[in-house]
Amino acid sequence: MKRRDFLRIGSAGLAGSLLGATGLLSWTPRANAATLERTFHVTEGFITQIDGTDVYFRGYSASPTGLDVPGEALIVQAGDTLRLTIVNTLNVATSFVIDGVVDSGPIGPGETRTVTFTVDQPGSYLYHDNLNAPHNRLLGLHGGLAVMPAGSSNELYPGSPTFVQQYFWLFHDIDPAWHDRLRRGLAPNTAYTPRYFTLNGLSGRPPGAPGSGDPSIDSMHDPRSALHGSIGDRALIRIMNAGLAAQSVHCHGNHMEWLTENGVIRPDVWEKDCLYLDGDKGALDVIYPFEVPPDSWPPARTGEYPMHLHSEMSQTAAGGYYMFGAITDIFFE
Amino acid sequence: MFDIEKRNRRMMGMGGRGGGMGGRGGGMGGGCYIYDENQRANDTLVTPDVTFRRGIYMNGSMTMDDGNTVTIWGFTDGGGGMSMGGPFPSPAMRVTQGQIVHTQLTVPMCCAHTIHHHGIEPGWESDGVGHISWDVSGTTYTYQWRPMHPGTYFYHCHTNTVLHAEMGMYGALIVDPPEGPGTLYSGGPTYDMEAFWVVDEIDSFWHTLNWTAGTCGSDVGLNDLNPDYFIITGVDGAQSAMNAPGIATTMQVGQKLLARYICAGYHPQRIHFGGLTGTIHISDGRVLPRPVQVTELRAHSGERYDVIFEPDTPGEYIITCEIRHWVSGEVLGTARTRITVT
Repeated sequence: MKRRDFLRIGSAGLAGSLLGATGLLSWTPRANAATLERTFHVTEGFITQIDGTDVYFRGYSASPTGLDVPGEALIVQAGDTLRLTIVNTLNVATSFVIDGVVDSGPIGPGETRTVTFTVDQPGSYLYHDNLNAPHNRLLGLHGGLAVMPAGSSNELYPGSPTFVQQYFWLFHDIDPAWHDRLRRGLAPNTAYTPRYFTLNGLSGRPPGAPGSGDPSIDSMHDPRSALHGSIGDRALIRIMNAGLAAQSVHCHGNHMEWLTENGVIRPDVWEKDCLYLDGDKGALDVIYPFEVPPDSWPPARTGEYPMHLHSEMSQTAAGGYYMFGAITDIFFE
Repeated sequence: MFDIEKRNRRMMGMGGRGGGMGGRGGGMGGGCYIYDENQRANDTLVTPDVTFRRGIYMNGSMTMDDGNTVTIWGFTDGGGGMSMGGPFPSPAMRVTQGQIVHTQLTVPMCCAHTIHHHGIEPGWESDGVGHISWDVSGTTYTYQWRPMHPGTYFYHCHTNTVLHAEMGMYGALIVDPPEGPGTLYSGGPTYDMEAFWVVDEIDSFWHTLNWTAGTCGSDVGLNDLNPDYFIITGVDGAQSAMNAPGIATTMQVGQKLLARYICAGYHPQRIHFGGLTGTIHISDGRVLPRPVQVTELRAHSGERYDVIFEPDTPGEYIITCEIRHWVSGEVLGTARTRITVT
């Protein structure tokens, strides 16, 4: 396939993926299980990086002309049935998998497949294409699913510490040499060396940079990623790693309450300012408590702080561009 | 107060320009995404209980066990601006829970740096993050904080952090409870002696770069850390750390050793205690709900663990820290020290 045949997504095109996030803050529990439907168009295209490099991606997209990387973050409740229609617009196979929950099997080129499954266990899940694992996932075919406890609006699992708002942080790392080989149907032939690092598909644009402050471009201001709260607005963050690099998730301002690691509830809740996030589908659930920063004097109730990965290579792009990596900001309002 | 006009001569935020800005960093006047133009004094300051004064050096060196030297940058004690070399790691800060602390950082016009007290959570203007407040250049800036949780922390430069922290711009930060050194936290266990295990890796190539490298858009390889040395608290972990004071420990049965372990590198680590069992009481400056006994543990960049050892059998125990590649998990190198129990 020739390059011009691909959809090319600039910064404007990415705005579409934000629309999918609107359900996040409006979650309300239901008394009864429901059947929820979504259609994902598996699409492909290029996303232009800060240094001008066009990198090939695939995504579970809301429209046939879009390219959503990651796919829409879904929130359902335990007992719900999901009916997902996967429209494969590619000329290669794709799949839709949630480890331990559902596996569509290969969905052929041009094929449309409806996948129906029920989610029973509350928690955070990565949905992804596991064909040629990890290749199709690395190309962008991944997204987050939250399963709320039935009837609950403020718990990760029944009896968990509670929150009043929730976010997904899907981290990703990108080796453009791999993406280029995979686009051409070739196996990667170089050691995986990630060169771009994203949070919910975007990377940082520090003050003064092109796109800085634009929520459709700048991960520091993307409402899916940037934490906003007043004192007491405890935020659950469902952290997942679609990439291959192990990362250290570091928050300023407050420690994180560490609830789960790779889907397993921790025996005790530790308060941590850095957390080890495994590569290759590692996962953490944490609560950022939005307490008065404990070491502030005079006590600070407002202010801005970063969340960044402390595995600092991830804070770069194209070998330089410090602060153009996987980073967001935390706003005490 | 200082004259803002003087700070404006270095440009920040080359807005609107795409990739490939500038050369390979530029030294004086060459920083791009450096935030020193809006510097102002900290308007939250009150009378402190304790003050640390820090200058900087960018021409230090560390000699490795193989005889090679690498360039090291860091902070000096005394705040005299730029010094000819200096200690590595930078001088420790040790404070008591509840004290109001000032850190006065003096940086000459040469360059820009900050101090971020990692794990300490102060007001935003005392957090030392350039893009949110400002980088410090050509002035003295005072950070104010009041540590409320005893434990092990560290401080490091948060300007072009990926490079500046790798270059060595960090030092230990210890918060003691009101009881003082010897007690981990009020009502918590006591200890007789301390060891500092600040484990880091060094990529010699990175240590040839300019302070602005990676801020102007050119590819200087900062996505790829290929370490060739593995160090503990500023000492080569190949051999020297086996006998370095403050790192290696000789103790008697019946004594209690507190190891303050800081993962200061960027690749994940796995530390083995050589047959000893340690008890983790604090991590990241927070007391664990229940202490955890371990014979090894894994950590990633910026994590700290406060581990007490009470060995009951004489012997020499080799502490081995493996530094593992963040993607492949391959062991890139090891750093070693020891606990000798008599």
